[in-house]
Amino acid sequence: MHTPDATAPPLLKVTNLSWSVASTAILQDIDFAIKAGQFIGLLGPNGAGKSSLLRCLYRYSKPQSGEVQFAGRNIWQLSADDYAKQVAVVLQEAPSQFNLSVYDVVSLGLTPHKSLFSATTKADQQVVLQAIEQVGLSHHLTQNFDSLSGGEKQRALIARSIVQGPKLLIMDEPTSHLDIKYQIQLMELAKSLNLTILASFHDLNLAASMCDQLLVLKQGQLVASGTPEQVITEKMLSDVFGVCAEVSQHPQSQQLQKAIPRITYFYGYQAGVNNGK
Amino acid sequence: MASKHTLAVIAALIIAVVSIFVALSFGAAPSKFIDVYHSISGQGHDSFIERIIWQLRMPRTLLAFLAGSGLAIAGLILQTVTRNPLADPYLFGISSGASFGVVCFITITGVSAGITMSAAAFVGSLVTMLLLVFIAGRTGRGQVETMLLAGVALSFLFSAFTSLLLYFSDPQAITAILFWTLGSFARAQWTTLWLPALVILSCTAVMMGFRRQLNAMLLGDESAVTLGIPVQRFRLLMLILSSLITAVLVAMCGGIGFVGLMIPHIVRFFVSQGTPSGLMMTALVGGTFMVWVDVLSRILLANQELPIGVITSAIGSVFFLSLLYFRKRES
Repeated sequence: MHTPDATAPPLLKVTNLSWSVASTAILQDIDFAIKAGQFIGLLGPNGAGKSSLLRCLYRYSKPQSGEVQFAGRNIWQLSADDYAKQVAVVLQEAPSQFNLSVYDVVSLGLTPHKSLFSATTKADQQVVLQAIEQVGLSHHLTQNFDSLSGGEKQRALIARSIVQGPKLLIMDEPTSHLDIKYQIQLMELAKSLNLTILASFHDLNLAASMCDQLLVLKQGQLVASGTPEQVITEKMLSDVFGVCAEVSQHPQSQQLQKAIPRITYFYGYQAGVNNGK
Repeated sequence: MASKHTLAVIAALIIAVVSIFVALSFGAAPSKFIDVYHSISGQGHDSFIERIIWQLRMPRTLLAFLAGSGLAIAGLILQTVTRNPLADPYLFGISSGASFGVVCFITITGVSAGITMSAAAFVGSLVTMLLLVFIAGRTGRGQVETMLLAGVALSFLFSAFTSLLLYFSDPQAITAILFWTLGSFARAQWTTLWLPALVILSCTAVMMGFRRQLNAMLLGDESAVTLGIPVQRFRLLMLILSSLITAVLVAMCGGIGFVGLMIPHIVRFFVSQGTPSGLMMTALVGGTFMVWVDVLSRILLANQELPIGVITSAIGSVFFLSLLYFRKRES
């Protein structure tokens, strides 16, 4: 992992971004920047605008005001193909009923790189096979994508984004619906790619342990940002997520030489029973 | 991996070519393979049977092949861009529009045959297509739903107009329109064959060029956007191309149901449509299937021709159901 350089210009810079649907503001005045090499976690309760924000970043939604810059250029001034070569996205959507194999899905990552009518070369095939091996799906190569488990599907989609050869990888809740083993496996796989990553999370403990920086959204506004240690506080958990919790140090913090907050949730307080502190 | 698919395409191509040659020897007038060979190799078109083969059966069989592959491709494309396994070239009202054009033509002119009737059908389907493109082009999100619902609505609208006109017209027009909707290759001629050939070949070539984008559409609109595809414009383009194929075919051979729906699914059982050969296989299998359906339509009843649409639907649904049944049992 290369360390974030304080002087380098940000890879992705969001300035004053606002986005609304039918005059309802979904995102308001979002400002942040991501440096190359960082792993950024995007947190927030349901409906806070996490997916909407990511959509504005991968050009699915066009913000009404504000600007998103990638490596110093407005993303809407780049061609769709050029942007797709720089930024890959892993989403929850998946094909069904159409019998695509794992190989087919992964090789779709070539799309922005190939012109019309150009054939898939031996070198392209090699890139695809290598990406599949990297995510550990070589033995599922010709298997139907639909028949994979949730974790394997996510890994196949990550392989597709490896083939895309991006600088930035955006993931929208990559770990939801996965067993804890696969959540950890998937995140460690993502970290091992040495890319800049922006991912939204449901599991705050997982985000706290995996990410270099965290962004917290509440009702379309960015309410906190910084290292996990700065962001994950009892006050933030109560203000943003409406839960009562205790934040302590993760036992692995010393071994990994970084401060990893650990959240312990309390239960039953909403019914008026406070059995916590 | 690639070589296996190439072999499959080559095998399908050989079967298609052989099918066309064998199909030429079937018909009301008795003929042998040697007649077919003589007729094609151009060793004099002297004998009566050789002329029948060259002038009647050849354009007809070629049209059948073109229609089969065109409808199968159009079906595959529409299923892909709408991500709806039930999409079919006729779902979007193209054939209803064509029928309406034909009925209008018969009511106004009283003529119920000829190339002008095909032109009327073509105009009818083009009007439907333009309406559909206009509606689908105006919607942003939810384009697929709008397209499907608008297509079905247009289909009903034109059927209603057609029924209304038929209600007030004479029985002859009703017979003509019935035969129209059932489909036939009897109108095939060398002089008009170039049009479907040109349209189907060029549209298929464009679709082959966009095959990666087509597959990416299967991942969902958002994922397709992240792969650099202008999803809405791309879907409109594909809708226009497949509608164009359908319109030309409906105008030349009437309505031939079920092929566009079924062939892509049958091919999909065996070849992943993500492979480069998926599109080719669909076209070849569709064409070969239609050539044999045409043969059946000519020989099943002596001295009579069965409507194509009846046979495609009958064979197709039985075959498709059995495929579904055995596939289910396998897994």
